Amino acid sequence: MRTGSRRSVFRRARGDSPAKRAVIHAVLILACVMSVYPFLRVVSVSLRPSNQLLSTDLALIPPGASLENYRALIFERDFTIWLWNSLVVSAASVLVGLMLAATAAYAFSRWKFPGRRQGLLFLLTTQMIPAGMLLLPIYIMVVRLKLFNTYTGMAIAYSVGSVPFSIWILKGYYDTIPRELEEAALVDGASPLVAFYRVVIPLSTPALAIAGLFSFMTAWNDYMMARVMLQKPNMFTWPVGFQKLMDQFQTAWGQFAAASVLVAIPALALFLYSSKWLVSGMTLGGVKE
Amino acid sequence: MRRTFVSGLVLLTLVALIVPAGAMAQKKVSLTIWTKEGEAEGVLQEIIALTQEYSKSHPGVTFEVVNYGVEDLRQNFQSAAFAGTGPDLLWTVSDHAGPFTAMKLIKSVDQVFPAGYMDKFVKPGIEAVELGGKIWGVPLSVGNHLMLLYNKKLIKTPPKDTDELIKIGKELTKDLNNDGKPDQYGLVYNLNEPFWLAPWLGGFGGWPLDGTKPTLDSQAMVDALQFLHDLKFVHKIVPMEADYNAADSLFKEGKAAMIINGDWSLGAYQSDEVKKNVDLGIARIPKVTKTGKWPSPMTSGIYLMFPEYLEGDKLNAVKGFVDFLVSDEIQLRFLEKFKRLPATASALKNPLVTEDPILKGSSDQMVVGRPMPTVPEMRACWDAMRPNQEAVMAGKMSPKDAAKAMQEAAEKAIREMTK
Amino acid sequence: MIPLTWDIVARGLGEIGRLLGIVAVIVVVLEALAYLILHRLLKYKYSLPFMLLLPALVGVMALIIYPFGFNIYLAFSNMNMFRFKDFSVGLSYGITNFLDVFRLPVLQKVTFFQLLGRTILWTVVNVVCHVLGGLGLAILLNRPMRGKGVYRTLLVVPWALPQVISALAWRGEFHFQYGFVNLMLERLGLRPVPWLSDPRWAFVAVVLVNVWLGIPFMMVVLLGGLQSISQEYYDAAQIDGASGWQQFRSITMPLLKPVLTPAVILGVVWTFNNFNVIYLVTRGGPMEGTDLLVTSMFKAVFEFYRYGFGAAYAMVIFVFLFIFSAVYLRLSGGFKGAWES
Repeated sequence: MRTGSRRSVFRRARGDSPAKRAVIHAVLILACVMSVYPFLRVVSVSLRPSNQLLSTDLALIPPGASLENYRALIFERDFTIWLWNSLVVSAASVLVGLMLAATAAYAFSRWKFPGRRQGLLFLLTTQMIPAGMLLLPIYIMVVRLKLFNTYTGMAIAYSVGSVPFSIWILKGYYDTIPRELEEAALVDGASPLVAFYRVVIPLSTPALAIAGLFSFMTAWNDYMMARVMLQKPNMFTWPVGFQKLMDQFQTAWGQFAAASVLVAIPALALFLYSSKWLVSGMTLGGVKE
Repeated sequence: MRRTFVSGLVLLTLVALIVPAGAMAQKKVSLTIWTKEGEAEGVLQEIIALTQEYSKSHPGVTFEVVNYGVEDLRQNFQSAAFAGTGPDLLWTVSDHAGPFTAMKLIKSVDQVFPAGYMDKFVKPGIEAVELGGKIWGVPLSVGNHLMLLYNKKLIKTPPKDTDELIKIGKELTKDLNNDGKPDQYGLVYNLNEPFWLAPWLGGFGGWPLDGTKPTLDSQAMVDALQFLHDLKFVHKIVPMEADYNAADSLFKEGKAAMIINGDWSLGAYQSDEVKKNVDLGIARIPKVTKTGKWPSPMTSGIYLMFPEYLEGDKLNAVKGFVDFLVSDEIQLRFLEKFKRLPATASALKNPLVTEDPILKGSSDQMVVGRPMPTVPEMRACWDAMRPNQEAVMAGKMSPKDAAKAMQEAAEKAIREMTK
Repeated sequence: MIPLTWDIVARGLGEIGRLLGIVAVIVVVLEALAYLILHRLLKYKYSLPFMLLLPALVGVMALIIYPFGFNIYLAFSNMNMFRFKDFSVGLSYGITNFLDVFRLPVLQKVTFFQLLGRTILWTVVNVVCHVLGGLGLAILLNRPMRGKGVYRTLLVVPWALPQVISALAWRGEFHFQYGFVNLMLERLGLRPVPWLSDPRWAFVAVVLVNVWLGIPFMMVVLLGGLQSISQEYYDAAQIDGASGWQQFRSITMPLLKPVLTPAVILGVVWTFNNFNVIYLVTRGGPMEGTDLLVTSMFKAVFEFYRYGFGAAYAMVIFVFLFIFSAVYLRLSGGFKGAWES
């Protein structure tokens, strides 16, 4: 038997040599540091007292660190409102988006109806429209429908915007679910729709979670659309609200950083929570086992 | 006869009861104000307090105050007006008067107030929003001009002319911890921003616009650019890179002896937090030795503008609120809190202005300033200046070429704009 | 300050509940209509899939078709600052607008073809780095090892962070004197780089930021692909004595392709149309040296008030991207995995 080093790095090798394992760990640790460090710097700024924003010090916990910025943010700004609004809008757009995408993806996955290819391509095409091109017309539509300044208007715009991508993810995943499972249910006398809800949906948790995660992030992070659609301070989502921390010339950097940290936490938590599905649910046109 | 008398009396009583009640039960009006003022300086909070105060004395009038960044406010107002919605009052910078009038989105003041209403405001406040013979906004504060601010802890007397500026600047640019790089600077300012180029352009004898014609390719522009280039590359008294925030922070932390900054920053520089590091002094931007002229910072201000669709009850309510805002009492309150020069002549004469050394310095600088052109063509000049100024400040382009490129770009943009 | 009260919470939940109810009703009504018309009336063979498709289709169409049509309408208008509400529409305006895209500078200096070249460079460099970086990390992670979950979690942080925040954070970190990039360079004994004042370095800076942002997505997609490749193939290859590289070329790459192709297309489309990174880190400057097609389009409309021109320009960008994707699909054999399953 040859030694571990001759064996493929691509197989799930139990026999990697210790040296190789050390190198792999070293590379991964370096990559992790690079991916996390900028965020740690933001955390660091948020802890700094406001008179020492700029510093050549690379220490992450600054001298004189305090939570003052967080206190001011939570108790003196509308921050909790912004967070709540973002949460409501994002959650609603996930639910609405999944309602629309789950069945549509099933149609794409199980039937070879005429226009299927064109339909899938059309969905991909919608992703090619440059940002900003649809901004003004969508805004006009929303105003005509009297939906500006409402959660409803925002949620509809975001959910429909994320439907094409959700359909792709869900279709890819449905493809990996053997048809025999539904057929068994059909034999038992269930209608196709019931088979779908009873058999396919429960098996698709990973893909639903990932599609939901994507819609959530789209809505959570959007500034462009929110900026024109929201004209009441009590409706602001956080990206719009954050602008208040920046005056024409002055910026409350410390509070801005603190707000960034607090806003990043829900997103990070969501990623952490869904990380167990993140790999298995992302089957873009995936292969069948 | 008696019955007529009685019924007449009853009728009169009824009328007497109904009419005042009707007059007093004001119609409910809800006004939406869009303002560029954010929370960082505390102005937004003050505006909200003012609206609440006003609602108390004028029941029936309620407010919604919405804050957007300056650019966002302009863009959102355009989109909103296009879609047929929008605010009832704009609280913004004078530059917006140009595009808003070109797009026919705002009313002129004479459509809102009776003739003579503008008489109580000082001239620079009116000039900045005068376009096509009409006035397009009611000034809240004038100034918005750049000046030389210095830290008395580092520098005793401010430089009088540019030679002195360079000499003092060199002395004060120090490497305190001996790592081979300066960590205290003689001068800081927003290096790549054309707004900071404008005073020097004036000081060397030029100006970006003549009427609506750009005049950027001038010897004055070449000299001004060369001067700013040399401050960075030859005399090395400014940082290699400094945007507004970097310059501002350096000064606040006592790491810069002088800063060129606007009147909006005065409030923050006198806060207790900053006072630990900075003992604020104020002076005119030093005279240009070569020409013997004072640099002329652009003056403008903060204005109330009236959307073109504003009518009826809302218009009346807005008028009342504007009267309240430009009253001496409110003007002086803003002055005290934010060190912004008021726009009414009577408030400017107040001892609060004339006896405060900082404000005196600020108004002294304003005297040599010039109003920022309001015509939309100015926008083309700004956009033409920025990339070329950046090129000079990156050492990628000679001032001569830059001035020429600015002129070409501005002319082209104006052609496109008016096509 | 507006406090978060129960009132607000209740109002939010109420509105969301109502929205979900309305959407559910609309979905049911649409499907019932489709059922009646397609199935009962026309006895159409594919009535079921169309029924399932209809709600999403209606939604996407409504949000895309009208705005798209509106944009074409604007592209044939002379709308600008001086003709904002009283613009006129005509074929000649449209022709001028479309010609202007190619013959005049889009902003002050930079022309369409410069921007196109830069955008292509930006897209290629980014996507190549995303795929290589993502693939490398995915391969490293695709093995039983200690701390795998921790690594995977930390490595997706750039993706999980709101882009507005990471872009602004990076902007600060590229500061000449106070950003950690230069501080690090100096500790390594290198000269500091004028990241944000030199157009070339600024371009490098935005590329670095976007590479950092985009690797996690590719890593996760490719890790999913790797995990779906059966171990048996590798076992068989080893018996035949294939080297690691041979195995990679003849097993991993072909089997990864069905995953890689859509991921690359999406990556290209997203990168090509990326707005946030450029706009927040450099605003397209200095000297318009980091503007891409999309950012310059946004500026043309919202900063230069050239509505008609901007609409035409947006169409050109869209068509270009569409052609590219079509060509790429042809060349790469397309979505075999997606069509055939």
